[in-house]
Amino acid sequence: MAALGAPSEPHSLEECDFLDEVHSFDFWLQAVEGYLLDTKHGHNPELVDEPLPESRREALITALCNYCIGETAALEASSGMIGYAPSRSIKIFLSTQVVDEGRHLEVFLHRLRELGVEDPDAEILQRANPSLLKFKDQLLEYVDSKDWEAAVFAQNVILESLEFTVFQAHAENADPITRQILMAVIKDERRHMGFGENDLGRRLALTPHLRPRLGKIKRQLDQLVMETFAGTLRDTEVPPDEQQRFASSYLAAVARLGVDL
Amino acid sequence: MNDPLQQEAREPGTKAKAPRQRYVLDETGFNEVPKKYRKFYRRFGGEGDVLAPNEVLCPVCMVVVRSSRELRPGDRVYCMPCFSRLVVVEADGRLEAQPVY
Repeated sequence: MAALGAPSEPHSLEECDFLDEVHSFDFWLQAVEGYLLDTKHGHNPELVDEPLPESRREALITALCNYCIGETAALEASSGMIGYAPSRSIKIFLSTQVVDEGRHLEVFLHRLRELGVEDPDAEILQRANPSLLKFKDQLLEYVDSKDWEAAVFAQNVILESLEFTVFQAHAENADPITRQILMAVIKDERRHMGFGENDLGRRLALTPHLRPRLGKIKRQLDQLVMETFAGTLRDTEVPPDEQQRFASSYLAAVARLGVDL
Repeated sequence: MNDPLQQEAREPGTKAKAPRQRYVLDETGFNEVPKKYRKFYRRFGGEGDVLAPNEVLCPVCMVVVRSSRELRPGDRVYCMPCFSRLVVVEADGRLEAQPVY
């Protein structure tokens, strides 16, 4: 397989140069500048909130509370993984992910306050999806045990794919401010889940015996993931016939790695 | 996997394939990568979005990857928004991209 195109094309980079480039802090900074410059709390500050019917506001608050749990899990996990990441380039990438996750948590907490939630921490406790809390505990166990492959799989493949899919579904029918917030978060999630799939894919190519072990982890987490998925899509008012479309999108990432056998 | 351009250059006596069409890439409004790379990507418009001969869809993040040259099976392209290395393949008479780990 060889490079294609003129020297100025990204496609003409050698693979090692490509990975150094996309894992760099400089790449991250110039990338997020494209869509976060001139925003405040994740959206255009001139955008005015539209009044929401009470049932819709309630459902949105529940969804945002669970997004905060997911983002807190990703923040704690990605920061914990830096200490034993297998290369400096990956440590640098993870540092950018930590910043992204911190930003996501902040904008979701701020959105909750905009919707009239006075004590977001208390609200999150009340509205937490039990399956998501169990998933978070399991993920942090993998991180604490310094199990790189399990941590990358649970966080950057499963959790990030789940968030990417749910946020996309929600953005399609969200109010304008929530939609703008989600669209910017989705752009960050592309990097996080892409990193996970590609890092793990390279590892599995070299050590295919890891595949059954990751398959076992997937089966252990499957029920929690699907319950979380169903609950969140319900809160975001995604029509039932659309839910299957988004679920299959999530499952495709796992299938490409060949760990769903 | 091969690079047809290099192969054509190395083997002048062999039957040459039609030369690749070249494309001038314009900005597409895509803003998820540094400025110098933005014209090489665009958002996917969904099922009705017909890809040009210099475009393939990244199956990992569903962004359209673009090249300044017509793409052919065996070519390698990168999806910078999701860090994926992709190889172009032909399936059902059209070009697709598959991640290469």
